[in-house]
Amino acid sequence: MQEFISRFKEVLEGIFRGKSIEYVGYEERELENVFALLVLGSFVGLPSPPTTISLRLLPHMGRELVIMASVSRRLDDMLGEMAGLFEIT
Amino acid sequence: MIYLYMGKGGVGKTTCAAAHAVSLADSGRKTLVVSLDPAHNLGDVLDVELGDEPRKVAQNLWAMEPDFEKVISKYLRELTERVKDVYGYLKIFNLDNYVDTLRYSPGVEEDAVLRKIMEILKMKDYEEIVLDTPPTGLTVRMLVLPSVSLTWIEKLMELRLRLLGARRALEKLSGEKLVIRRGETEISVPTDPEDDPIFKELEALRKEISWVQGILTDGGRTSVSMVVNPDVLSVREASRAIGVLRKVGIPMRRLIVNKYLRLSETPSELEETVREQEEALGLAKKELGFLETVVVPLFPREPRGFEALREVARFLA
Repeated sequence: MQEFISRFKEVLEGIFRGKSIEYVGYEERELENVFALLVLGSFVGLPSPPTTISLRLLPHMGRELVIMASVSRRLDDMLGEMAGLFEIT
Repeated sequence: MIYLYMGKGGVGKTTCAAAHAVSLADSGRKTLVVSLDPAHNLGDVLDVELGDEPRKVAQNLWAMEPDFEKVISKYLRELTERVKDVYGYLKIFNLDNYVDTLRYSPGVEEDAVLRKIMEILKMKDYEEIVLDTPPTGLTVRMLVLPSVSLTWIEKLMELRLRLLGARRALEKLSGEKLVIRRGETEISVPTDPEDDPIFKELEALRKEISWVQGILTDGGRTSVSMVVNPDVLSVREASRAIGVLRKVGIPMRRLIVNKYLRLSETPSELEETVREQEEALGLAKKELGFLETVVVPLFPREPRGFEALREVARFLA
């Protein structure tokens, strides 16, 4: 019985951890997107920081450029993106 | 002390700045006068040949006309090298040509002027620095730039810290190091502000810009004079520019009304001009009465050379 409870606890913890990773991961991804969009916003016509700030950060923004490119690719499938967001399968 | 002379194009900023510099040098202070206007004419006013480096033009007086194209080129060259270091795979493209077009990007010219000011402020050889600025528009944008940049940097740093916090939480929950996979290679993702090159670059930028902003907004170290001509348009523009600068904390010290027409008898052809002069002076008193006002007369000949500038300085004192 004790073994069953401990196994049950483990499974429960696993589920909660998985859910937490999912939510924190989602928040983290969104923050990455917002940061990339703010610094490199002039590429898509958004007001952006003074040029010098974007230029100074540019050498370190390789990852953010990849993020922006992948986000813009995903935007072709807005329905899929929304479905993923609301967990509709 | 740093003295900044600003105003509309053609009002006589360079003449006033040069005259002030000559009088400071005459009083025994080691003085550097710099033209920050990309269309230099400081050399013409002093009647000497000037270049990119400070040149001694009189006892205690040095002058220079920085080459802003060179400043922009140097900055973009350094940037190209750093971008190439990071995105090594871009070497197959002609990156130089692309980065070269950035010189025409909005804000780059103002940044180059600000960068030059920072370089000049770090020079320890001079007791007084007199800066002759470009016409109002560019100068206002340049003086507002540190304040605007600081606002952006603060917000970006705040966001970056939240992002790094989320990355740390993710690592802790998953028990695995965050990595990016590019082909066979794995690149670790920074989670600590100390290891994050973007956060460190933002911190370095904040330090640099806060330093120059601190000097520009310190009335004890910087004195800004607005030069106007006795005409309504020039006074109105000055009034608007002063309003913008006050918002970002740049203190204005003096209003110099230059080229004031003094006549013992007014010929009928100039009656209207004299009337407008008085109207402009009245407007200046009404809108900018809080500034110390100095009137410099219109000289029969454009002041050029040290003796003529000493004559102008007599009115500025």
